[in-house]
Amino acid sequence: MAFPDKPIAHLLGSNGPVHAVAYSASPGTYILAGSSDRSIRLYNPSPSTSVAPSSHVTKPHQTSAAPPIPQGRLIQSYSAHGYEVLSLSIAADNARFASAGGDRSVFLWDVATAQTIRRLGGNQQSHSGRINCVAFGGDDDALLVSGGLDTTVRVWDVRSGSFKPIQVLTEARDAITAVCVRGAEIVSGSVDGRVRTYDVRAGRCVTDVVGPSVTSLSMSKDGKAVLVGSLDSKIRFMDRRDGGCLKTYADPALKNEQLRVQSILGGKEQYVLAGDEMTGAPGQNGEGRLWAWDTLTGDVVAKVSVPWGPVGSEPKKKLIGKDGKEKERSNVISCVAWREDGFGDQYCVSGTSGVVTVFGYH
Amino acid sequence: MSHKRSRANFEADLQAQQSPYVLFGTPLPPLDPEVRDDGSYVPVWKQEVRDERGRKRLHGAFTGGFSAGYFNTVGSKEGWTPSTFVSSRSNRWKDGAEGQGQGQRPEDFMDDEDLAEKAESEKLQTATDFAGLGSTGTDGVRRGGLADVFRAQGETMGVKLLRRMGWKDGQGIGPKVRRGARLDVGGQSKVGGDSDGQTHLFAPENVPMIALIKKLDRKGLGFEGESKLTPISSSANKTVGGSSDEEDGSGPLIRPSAFNRKKTKPSRGGIGMGILNDTGSDDEDPYEVGPQISYNRVIGGDKKKKKALKATPVNPSLRSVPVFISKKNALAKAGTNLRKCHDGRLPLDGFVFGVRPDNFASEINSEGKYPPPKIPPGWKSAKQRNMDSANGAYTSTSDAAKSSQLDPKSRAALLGEAQLPGKSVFDFLDPAARNRLAAATGKVNLPPALGEVPEGYALTPEEKQRQLLAQVPTLDKSIAISALTRGAQGSAPYADDEAKRGRYRTYLEFSAGFGKVTLPAKAPLQSNEDWLRELREFHSCAMIFKPMTGMMASRFTTSTSKFIAGSTVSSTDVLTKPAPKPADPAEEAAKMGMYGTMTRSTTDFYPTRLLCKRFNVPPPAHLQPDADSEAATRNSASTTAAPNPYTQSGSNGTSHASGVPITLDELLQQAQGDSNAAIAVIEGEKKSTQPEIATAVPAKPEVDASVNEALEGKRAQDDVLKAIFGDSSDDEE
Repeated sequence: MAFPDKPIAHLLGSNGPVHAVAYSASPGTYILAGSSDRSIRLYNPSPSTSVAPSSHVTKPHQTSAAPPIPQGRLIQSYSAHGYEVLSLSIAADNARFASAGGDRSVFLWDVATAQTIRRLGGNQQSHSGRINCVAFGGDDDALLVSGGLDTTVRVWDVRSGSFKPIQVLTEARDAITAVCVRGAEIVSGSVDGRVRTYDVRAGRCVTDVVGPSVTSLSMSKDGKAVLVGSLDSKIRFMDRRDGGCLKTYADPALKNEQLRVQSILGGKEQYVLAGDEMTGAPGQNGEGRLWAWDTLTGDVVAKVSVPWGPVGSEPKKKLIGKDGKEKERSNVISCVAWREDGFGDQYCVSGTSGVVTVFGYH
Repeated sequence: MSHKRSRANFEADLQAQQSPYVLFGTPLPPLDPEVRDDGSYVPVWKQEVRDERGRKRLHGAFTGGFSAGYFNTVGSKEGWTPSTFVSSRSNRWKDGAEGQGQGQRPEDFMDDEDLAEKAESEKLQTATDFAGLGSTGTDGVRRGGLADVFRAQGETMGVKLLRRMGWKDGQGIGPKVRRGARLDVGGQSKVGGDSDGQTHLFAPENVPMIALIKKLDRKGLGFEGESKLTPISSSANKTVGGSSDEEDGSGPLIRPSAFNRKKTKPSRGGIGMGILNDTGSDDEDPYEVGPQISYNRVIGGDKKKKKALKATPVNPSLRSVPVFISKKNALAKAGTNLRKCHDGRLPLDGFVFGVRPDNFASEINSEGKYPPPKIPPGWKSAKQRNMDSANGAYTSTSDAAKSSQLDPKSRAALLGEAQLPGKSVFDFLDPAARNRLAAATGKVNLPPALGEVPEGYALTPEEKQRQLLAQVPTLDKSIAISALTRGAQGSAPYADDEAKRGRYRTYLEFSAGFGKVTLPAKAPLQSNEDWLRELREFHSCAMIFKPMTGMMASRFTTSTSKFIAGSTVSSTDVLTKPAPKPADPAEEAAKMGMYGTMTRSTTDFYPTRLLCKRFNVPPPAHLQPDADSEAATRNSASTTAAPNPYTQSGSNGTSHASGVPITLDELLQQAQGDSNAAIAVIEGEKKSTQPEIATAVPAKPEVDASVNEALEGKRAQDDVLKAIFGDSSDDEE
């Protein structure tokens, strides 16, 4: 099965760059997109009834005459944030999800009513800076783990009404950019170039030095390895048992040295997917790029060109760079999500354009 | 006695009986205790406190209660209500002014006490205006120094009366006097007026009050001090008989005593007259003492005198009518006694003016009555010193003694005395000590120090050396060593003096006890003191330059740039980069791609109990040393529910819908190029191993909590699982 590189849907509605996308828990019917326009949108990428004026929904890539890509349906918009939304995490029962961002608190939402259940923050014991990442964890998703610019990972109890975090992990010496929970382990990636694994069961904190600043973490299903994206344009596949590097994924044309670009495992962990901050080889017409490597060989499987949006929605605004010259505007793919944690049949990407593009095997 | 006597009768009777001889006043009370009398003794319990109006002050409550009610303090039943209070709301001040003159006075609001206080504070006295001319109440001297400043404003009543009678300020009191006009300003000229002899009626001259000056200074009686810089008019004022018509602005109410005092006050200066005190008039005798009373000293009078006599009273007819001239007046006219009192009158009958002795003496001398005897020419006193005999220059005995070169010994030799057996202290002092003594005492004539050493105390050179070495400051060995090491790092003191640095090092090595290092050698011209001083300096220097320890050492770092005397610093070195931090070996390894044990570090982590509970895991062993059995069972339950990440669990794989999952481990192992043969072998065994797994999983609850077999037995399980699922990767290709 070839790597799916054809977009099957566009999810529109965001007025700014999208920083986080997430599939709902299994079976991953819906997509949540957290935008810098301070709201979170819930989409159905493949609705049964057509949303867009285009009539052909099925098999768009089989028609050669560039059929219009259908639009997903915007189901709900969640707006309570006062700042950009930087991270999303959906509970396993799909009833709640958590979001965090610039307003230094973790919001726990009720999906159905579109209201926040809890807002963890705004007091002395909460984050004192932007929250970069949030993840559910624990038994029955009883915990929320968040990490942010204040170099701390805070573990919140969702069940109790306490506004104080259960625990604050302060080992990191720079901002926390990624956190993931598996079992009784909390793995955090920090700008200080370290991946820290807090094993609650054993009471051990294992620090793995990666070197460059870590921006993304994606754990394999079996928990034996973790994919570490870092700001040296490389993605490393690290063995969690002994800290060794199993594989390194890179490409001369890939540049990732400034932006937080997410990298995930996908396609039943066959592929490693990563966005591109588009400084190495600028795309045309505002398009972005998505890289896919074979997990085992480390070869580039695909270089998917992600359009800015639907046809006709290319960026009109010109971007003036720091040097005063007109800069080509490009769609920096900053967030990627694979359905069912990498085992589904589709994935979605988004970035600067604010349009979530869904790719799939169909 | 049939009828009862009245009490008054009884008492009067009793008094008459007890004290029959009292004719005046009240007799002492009778000794009969039954008789009531104010002066008699009353026991305390019978005593009553009454106010000045005889009202009882204490009521009830064991007679200690103080009643502030109606009967005692204020006069109304309702309590204190000012009876004369008139509300100003209806009765305005304006209306009150028409009616009663005044609306409300403060007295209306006063009670008895306040009124009593007010009455007490009032004193009857005359107003200041009525104090009159002669009152001493306003006298500045008596009232205090500032009286002149705070004089009563306006005129006194006496002045007002005088004004009514035609008196004017500055004039004397009395009938007008006919005399010639004095046209000169200062009034220096005497009574004689114009040359044309015209006379006018003038008010009599103002007469100053007699000032009885309290003597406050310690000068001799009659001493007035030097005359001082005063305006002409005031100096003229001194002249008692002189004119005071043209008195300057000072009003008539300035008491002359105060006026005089003001003038005498600055007279505390020394004798003599400074240039500043010169009034400019040469004819004034600066040493003149005594009142400058002007009078004629010439008996018989002269033309002026006659002119003065021409002054006639106001009434011209007085002249024509023969009048009785008393003897005194005749005498006055004869000029025998022309001195007048200060008020310009002749002294009273029977009184003569006192004469001050010095004044008198000067008078005598001026008259030349008793000249001192004249010294005959050519007389020489026998007591006169002959100054020529001392050869002009005078030399004191001490000077003469100083000039002699003899010391006590030589003097003794000269005098033929026996030599003293002892020696002076200075014989044993060394010159340095003698100089110190001389500097301390300030005497330069100390005998020279000889620096002798008594026989018994003479030191051998070895002993001297030992003594010197004993004075060398001892440095702690550890400090010396640390200072040496610090010096070896390049930050030694005395960087600009190589020789001194060498000596310093030698001293440190000596203190550290390195081998046979001796103290730095003394320079040939260096005195012992200098040598020792330098060593002491080295000692304190080593104390300072020893390396820092502990907290301080962590705060400071040694500068890497060394300053070497004479070397030129290139311009590129001005900006010195801080030394790179010692790189973290883990980071170094990560940079080189050597991920693994070198980049991994493990620390203890203490999860909170709630965190463990939420993760549904038992707290780690170092958090809870004594894990009970319940936790152990829970542990086993949780391991089945949430599989250990390092354990490959079969249930995970089967849950996925889309085909058989390929685990990463297998992928990696396949990538390492495992042969297909192995897979074929495993495939064959697949069916046989599956039941084994099924049996192995229920066996898990028996796992001991302290030993995690899932972790330790991983390798074997991997092989088993690979055997199970190893073939599934083929259909992905």
